[in-house]
Amino acid sequence: MQLFRYSTSIYGGSDVLIGASWDLLPWFVLAGAVVIVLHAVFKAATSRRTDRIK
Amino acid sequence: MAVTQANISEAGAASDRVTRHLLADRLYHWLMAACVLTLLATAFLPIIGVKFEWLGLHWMTGVALSALVLIHIVRAVIWQDFWAMMIDRADLRNAWRRFAQTFGRKGAAPGKPGKYNVLQKLYHAGIAVLVLSIIATGLLMLLKIDTPLWRRNPYVLADYQWGWIYVVHGFAAMGLITMVMIHIYFALRPDEWRLTRSMFRGWMTRREFEEHHDRARWAADER
Ligand code: HEM
Ligand code: HEM
Repeated sequence: MQLFRYSTSIYGGSDVLIGASWDLLPWFVLAGAVVIVLHAVFKAATSRRTDRIK
Repeated sequence: MAVTQANISEAGAASDRVTRHLLADRLYHWLMAACVLTLLATAFLPIIGVKFEWLGLHWMTGVALSALVLIHIVRAVIWQDFWAMMIDRADLRNAWRRFAQTFGRKGAAPGKPGKYNVLQKLYHAGIAVLVLSIIATGLLMLLKIDTPLWRRNPYVLADYQWGWIYVVHGFAAMGLITMVMIHIYFALRPDEWRLTRSMFRGWMTRREFEEHHDRARWAADER
């Protein structure tokens, strides 16, 4: 997987760095989703546990 | 230790309210949020295939965000309690106690937070780093485009230098997606609804204040 985007020179010279690779976009969305799901599951599980104690 | 002023509203019907966010700060938060969401949309919709003329709206909103953030920094340093948003020893101690308690270890119970808890402060620090880097690089990138006010002049920097500027702008932009998703999730959760409500109405009830905050770390100004 690429981290960066490069421009491919038509003259065959070395490629120039032009920015971040957008292939990474889904991973950043996934990271957010994972934190949200883990937190929601953790909260649901621990609140059920205190319900039982009550 | 710094103590934030939580002003109690004027006497009468509203006397059991503790002010959390002044109107100026609520306006700042919502205008800033509108700018960030617009910048995310104008930047990423074209990338995921929704093509439109994004650049004009993007850079103009970017300039507006830069101005808002500048005003916010001046306000925070001069008129607000700057230290209310900084992580201190008590936060670290409480965070450790909460961690130990959650994972079943015995020990002292964590104390209450001041105005913000340690996770909110961490979130704010993360957003500050991302937004300041995206503003610094974005303002430079204005030199790469034609606008009604100036012509492009990319020759002030070498190609590889522009490359790194675009890399920082791009990574900070993707990082903001993760951060904003998590932030909106917490704001929508019902457990801390008093905080969400306070960003609309400005206040929380005195009972909520007593229950969830340490008055020594976020002192109510009883005038
Ligand atoms: C939340 C804030 C922002 C996000 C998410 C964001 C995102 C992006 C993204 C993903 C690109 C495409 C970059 C590339 O092609 O590698 C871009 C381009 C650009 N951004 Fe931003 N940006 C933000 C803030 C700003 C600000 C504050 C400014 C200026 C004050 C700005 C000015 C620009 C300009 C001028 C370009 C186009 C450069 C070009 O096409 O050559 N952006 N932005
Ligand atoms: C629909 C979107 C949003 C909602 C519902 C929302 C909600 C909130 C609420 C309720 C608070 C107050 C928390 C408190 O009083 O303790 C807050 C604070 C804050 N918001 Fe937002 N917000 C949104 C978008 C954003 C965006 C886009 C950013 C920046 C990228 C942002 C940055 C912050 C920061 C830095 C704070 C202060 C730290 C904190 O309290 O966590 N917000 N937000």
